[in-house]
Amino acid sequence: MNLSDFKGIWFLLGVAVAYGVLWGFDPHSGLKALEKSGTIVWSLLPIFALVILITALVNYFLKPARFVKHFGADSGKKGWFLSLASGVLSHGPMYAWYPMLQEMRERGIRDGYLVAFLYARSIKIPLLPLMVEYFGWLFTIVLTFYILLGSWLQGVVSDRIGSKGP
Amino acid sequence: MKPEPSLSFFKVLKKSAVSFAATLPLLMGVILLVGMVQTLVSPQMIASLFGHGVLIDTVIGTAVGAVASGNPSIGYMVGGELLEQGISLFAITAFILSWVTLGLVGLPAEISVFGIRFTVVRNLLSLVFTFLISIATVMSVEALS
Repeated sequence: MNLSDFKGIWFLLGVAVAYGVLWGFDPHSGLKALEKSGTIVWSLLPIFALVILITALVNYFLKPARFVKHFGADSGKKGWFLSLASGVLSHGPMYAWYPMLQEMRERGIRDGYLVAFLYARSIKIPLLPLMVEYFGWLFTIVLTFYILLGSWLQGVVSDRIGSKGP
Repeated sequence: MKPEPSLSFFKVLKKSAVSFAATLPLLMGVILLVGMVQTLVSPQMIASLFGHGVLIDTVIGTAVGAVASGNPSIGYMVGGELLEQGISLFAITAFILSWVTLGLVGLPAEISVFGIRFTVVRNLLSLVFTFLISIATVMSVEALS
């Protein structure tokens, strides 16, 4: 791998400079922020492993033609269902899933499915009891319903607008 | 489903790992930024920003949730604290939604991976729908309860 193969080197350098500035003004906060980042990395390791595994499984079992059939322009209801369901079931922060989504996009997934997946992630099944505790059953059920509806609608609107990137 | 015949699973796994490694500087940058924001912005600071009426609080909720993204459980806890303080449910719903779906700290990474057009469209849609879902949720809950 060459250095040019890595994404975000300049971004990382920019963040390092920001840490340098923070360290200069407040070394205690700088150290605390680094420790917090270390904790986040540690907690994300299983998710990173999962992302690599799922990407490999998709690439291994779904040939380009089959992949487009499930997630391409003509995949219809099944594609929406898979996008919403996988969004709800995915754990961890959004950015941890970027590498996998990037690969799927290169293989021809509809942008609308990505948009729906990313918004549906706001439903966190393991945290639903916590939400019920704070806001009640009715609020949790209604919000979950609207998030699913909103995720699908955003995907549809995104496809209509045509947000295809690089 | 039949596997792709040309490559062994181990080779495909290795290829996926290499592809993932290429995005590591980007991910590390985001994680370091999240660590910094979580250190500099406490839940108490977030809670102190509210209390200016339903509409302004909803805008503040969306904006603060977008900037101070983090673990969703912390978002719920802050939301619960805000509810006890008497902040409107519109604002709290907008806050907990944008906490998870929008992320200013992750924006450079999103642009780098998906391109600026996709990122702008997705984030604008998320912003608009966060407002709409907050309003729809609270109105439905009030109507049903």
